[in-house]
Parts: sequence; C-alpha cells; structure tokens
Amino acid sequence: MPEFPIPGFHGRVLEIDLTTGAILRKPLDPQLALDYLGGRGLGARILYDTIDPACDPLGPDNAIVIVTSPLIGTNAPTAGRGHMVFKSPLTGVIGTSNSGGTWGAAFKATGWDVLVVKGAASDPVMIDIAPGRVEVLPAGHVWGMSTHETNDVLAAASEPGSPARVLCIGPAGENLVRMAAVANDRNRVYGRCGPGAVWGSKKLKAVRVRGKEKIAVADKEKYQAGLDQALYLMRQAPITKRLLRELGTAGLIELINLISMLPHRNFRDCLHREEDVERISGETLAKTLLDKAGSCYLCPIGCQRHTRVVGKDGKEETGEGPEYETMILMGPVCDIYDMAAVTRANYRCNELGIDTISYGGTVACAMELFELGLLTKEETGGLDLAFGSSEALEKLVPLMAFRKGIGDRLAEGSSRLAAGVGRPELSMTVKKLEIPGYDPRASFTQALGYMTSPTGACHLRGGYAVSLAFFGGTREIPRFSLLQSPIAIRNMQNTGILQDSLGICRFTGFAFSSDPWARMVSGVTGRDFSVARLEEIENRIATLERLFNIEAGATADDDALPPRFADLPVVAEGRERRVSREDQDRMKQDYYRVRGWDGQGRPTAELGRALRIEARKK
Amino acid sequence: MIIKTKFFAYFRDLFAGRDWDVDIGDGRTVRDALNVLCDTPSRRAEIFAGNEPKPHLVLMVNGVHIQSLQGLETELKTGDTLAVFPFLGGG
Repeated sequence: MPEFPIPGFHGRVLEIDLTTGAILRKPLDPQLALDYLGGRGLGARILYDTIDPACDPLGPDNAIVIVTSPLIGTNAPTAGRGHMVFKSPLTGVIGTSNSGGTWGAAFKATGWDVLVVKGAASDPVMIDIAPGRVEVLPAGHVWGMSTHETNDVLAAASEPGSPARVLCIGPAGENLVRMAAVANDRNRVYGRCGPGAVWGSKKLKAVRVRGKEKIAVADKEKYQAGLDQALYLMRQAPITKRLLRELGTAGLIELINLISMLPHRNFRDCLHREEDVERISGETLAKTLLDKAGSCYLCPIGCQRHTRVVGKDGKEETGEGPEYETMILMGPVCDIYDMAAVTRANYRCNELGIDTISYGGTVACAMELFELGLLTKEETGGLDLAFGSSEALEKLVPLMAFRKGIGDRLAEGSSRLAAGVGRPELSMTVKKLEIPGYDPRASFTQALGYMTSPTGACHLRGGYAVSLAFFGGTREIPRFSLLQSPIAIRNMQNTGILQDSLGICRFTGFAFSSDPWARMVSGVTGRDFSVARLEEIENRIATLERLFNIEAGATADDDALPPRFADLPVVAEGRERRVSREDQDRMKQDYYRVRGWDGQGRPTAELGRALRIEARKK
Repeated sequence: MIIKTKFFAYFRDLFAGRDWDVDIGDGRTVRDALNVLCDTPSRRAEIFAGNEPKPHLVLMVNGVHIQSLQGLETELKTGDTLAVFPFLGGG
C-alpha cells in the first residue's frame, strides 16, 4: 500500500461544510492519488464518494470539488490550471470545468491538494485560505458585484511576495443561471456546465488563496528530460511557437470554413459568404481590436487576446477575447458577423459570469423560436430577437444574468427554453449542454465525441477531433469514417482526460503527446508512470465518469444528437453529409465496445474490477 | 492552367497575399503548383523539407487534404483551389 509523502502531492484535503461551518482537514488517500492523479480525474473520484449522483444539483447535497495536480508547483509548461468537478445544474450529469491564469498554481501553494465545499450557507460567504489558516468569512459586501470588481476588491489583501488570488462568481451565479461560470484573474473562466450556479446555491461568492508551500521533485534528472523534450517540441510546432500568439484561437475560423465545418443559424447549415467570415477571422481581430497577446502561468504559447472595442456610447472599453468558440456561438450561429458586437457581449459575459458557448447557443435557439413565432415581442419586452440582431446579443446578457423578463427563461438554457414551447428538438444540445462551434455533420468523429462526452456536447471532454480533418487519410483517419471514429475519439478523449488530470493546457497537445508527461510525472513522484500506466488511469477515469452519470440517471438514449443532424444535410467534400440515426447507433455501439461497456453503455462489473474502481463510498 | 490559391496565417505575408489566381503553365499536379509558387529561397524553405512538404504544413485541394488524395502528385483541374497553411487547432 502506498503512503505519503509522495512528491508532487501535499497529502491533504480541505473539506468545508457551509451548512454547519465545519472546516475539516482530511488526509488524501495515497492510492486514489496514484490511481486518479489529480484535476478532473481525482475530482471525479472524490465527488463520486462525497455526493449521491441523484441529488438536486442546486441543493445543499451537491458539492464542489476543486483539485490541483502533482505537476503544479513545478515549472512544467502551462502547469497551473485549476479543475472543478460538481453535479451540473444545466445537464444533471457530471460537470467538469477548468481554467488557466494564476489561481490553480496559487491554490497548490496553499498546501492543500483538494478543496471540497459541501452544504449551503444561509448568507453570502467567501472562503479565505492563507498560510496557517482557513476561514469562512461573510461576503455580503461583494455579493452583487461583477467578477472583475469582486476580484479587485478581494485581491487587495495581497501582500508583497504573496499575492492573493481570487476565484469568484458574478451576478449570474448568484441568480442561479444554469450556465453561470466561475472566474479567476478577471477573465479566465471555468465556463462549461454551470458551476457558477452551484456556487450561488451555496451562497459561496469567492475563494481567495495565498501561500508559499512548495513541492518536492523525486528524480530531477528524469523530470528535466521530460521538460526539455516538451519545450523542444513546442518550439518546433508553428502552432505553439507563433500561430496561437499571432492569431489566437480565432485564427482557426477561416480554416474551419474552408472544410465546411463552420456552423450557421442555430446549426441549420454551414454556408457563409467569405467576406463575412473575414470580418470575424483571427487575422481581422489581430489587425483591428487586438491590443496584445497574453499568457497564463508558465505558458510560452500566449493565446490570450487582450482587446479593446468602442462601446455603444462611443467610449472605449477593454477586456479579453473573443476566442474561437465565443466568436462562433455568439457570431454566425446567431447569424452575426459583427466582431465588435461579439466582443462587447463577450466582455459582458465575462463580467457577469456566464459561459459564452452556452450563451450563444441559447440565444441562437431563442432566435429560431422567435422566427417561428414561438417567442413573441410581448414576451421579449419589445426586443427584436431576429437572427442577426447584435442588439439582442448584447442586451440579453444582463437580462439573463439578472433573470429579468425573457432573460429568466433563457437562464434555464436552450434545452429547457425550447421544451417549454413544445419544440425540444430546436435546442442544439447533447444532454442539455450547448454544442460548440464545429458542425458534427462535417466530422462524424466529432459527432461521436459530442454524443459520448461525459459532460454533454463538448469538443474538449468529447475529444477534439477537428484537427483530424487537417491531417487527412494516411496520417490520421478520414473524418467521415464510421469504422474508425470510435477508437479515434476514445483516444482523443483519453488524451484530454490526462491533460485535465495533470492541470496542464490542451494546447500542449498540438505539439506533443503523452511521452513528455510520462517522464515528468514519473520524475516528480518518483513512481514509474509509463504511457501504458497513464492510459490505464485515463480509462479508469472515463469509466468512473460514466458510472457517476448512470447513477445520476443518464442512459444510452442520451448519447444522441438532436434530430437536425440526422434530418438536414450539409455539403462537405462535395457530398451531402448527415449523421443518420443508424450511423449514430452503429458508432455508439462500437464506442461502448471499445470502452468495455455493455450494449446499453454500462460498465460491466468485470471492467470495474480490472480497472480497480472501488464502489462508491457513501 | 489557372488555379486559385489561398494562404492563411503568416503565409499571407510570405506569399504576399490571401488569395491568388496562379497560372501554373503546363503543370498539372500540386507539386507543379508549389514549384511555381515557391519562386524564392525563403518561400521554398517554408514549404519544402527536401522534396517533401514540411511537417506541420497542411495542403488541401478544394477542402480535402492531399493525404486523402494522391499527395503532391494530386492532379489539379482549372479553377481548383489549393489551400496552404501551417497546422492550426483551437478551442
């Protein structure tokens, strides 16, 4: 049986019950640390052991599990991402969300590996973690403030050499908006799955951290070999060396249009005029609104976009973004190609604490319902919700955040909005999570990723298959292959699980795969983490997330795309493409087989034993 | 024959533009087109490693990667679009 100390870990879990006020220090189970690593993986395991997956996600029985990783505290590139795991109030299945910036590394420096927040406070509170003390403090004075104001007020407690880093919600989380986000460093966002609403339901406004605890590295030579390899490969690949710094993720937009994958008008088609796409491209962003690039902690890539835009009142405002997803979901998916409008709406989402992907997808759904007369001007308070209305895009952000008028219905997400008028099929979601900016009809591999992602439609947790289209047949798989998609997407999902459990950035994956991480984790912990052992961990985490979801009530029927993608084709590579129900089922069955699950997508008991997944503790 | 070319990212600076109609003369393949386009040492150095395209380089004909076609020997027709860019992925 392993024991602490294991270099890379502090060996401590901080558990706070906001109902009773109890602050508990617990040991981290060393076997769990080695079996689930950290971040998303360890967070999923601890959540599974802490809550009943069938609980009310906005009730006191849900928990927020924030986890760091054994690489955070080293100088590994991008090693500083924070991960949060919870039951999602938007989807009802597992929610995982993560963010860059400085907070993750600052949390590791407090000397805790994990923070678990249970119960619910009766009045707004914040958690304050500093050297030698943990307190739950009243937060009434910041309740109601934007994420930016909250950050600035609370970070004022910084001392020289020990900056106070703040993680907080905005008004959207306070008002239980189901797609509410949690933010750090002002504009770094735990966006997807609605963690902000879980925080709001607990009356938790902020978590502030300060510390100087370091970690040990067991085998410095082995760690350094992995580090050197990683840095070398990142310098060789143009994308990590210069492209993301020059163009940001928006640099991808014209390329996605080139391969007919750029969605339009609530995913009706992928047809755009080239001159319109140019108005929202990364090149145009660089030439017009971009002030400078920026980086998260320990990141050489520099994809952050620090921008400025003229507001409606003629005054200039600054902020960050838009990223690819924001530009697409709040742009062409709403039939909008006005970059300045998207940027202003992006700034509002960041300040009020709302996920931009779910926001854009929900507005687009509302626009389609409005077009069909299923939402009327009486209901929208006179606001014209026609496709293309950038006025609606900007005005709906505060309406949603404060649940005013039509915003109250949009705050429930597109799935509940559309179901409420009897047209659930007009919400472009899987498991009620809004589909990101890549049309699944243009990549069957990505389609399968959306269907099988544990969190609902996601290009990250579902597996990032988009780059396959750029590599073509011999190097990767053809993007329309039903036969190869299941194994390919499983592999991409597993890569993502590793990256999310190590607290590092997905974009390193464009330059290198598992090898350097295997060396670095082995070097830090002094344990032998081969690529094969890491893969076993990835499979363990994937099956654990599935077990959580099954106990939360998800079934194989939920692993499906909305009808539009089976019924309405798009043209790509010269042919009509749609993802028929038969093809979805066929890929799904193969995917279950590859995962070792039965025909209903349920992990077998035998698999659970082989992966050493212990039964739920509660 | 005349084909369309599209450049992205820093290749727009390298090839002095976004879109060009290019006359590749008697040339018929992607390789022929690239030989016409890479008319300076700096252009050649960005595109070729020896006689093959550099890793991280993406070449697409009408939105299809040449690796799904006949590679550099892929035959072109009048009006085909050849896209040239460094590999980019995103969020």
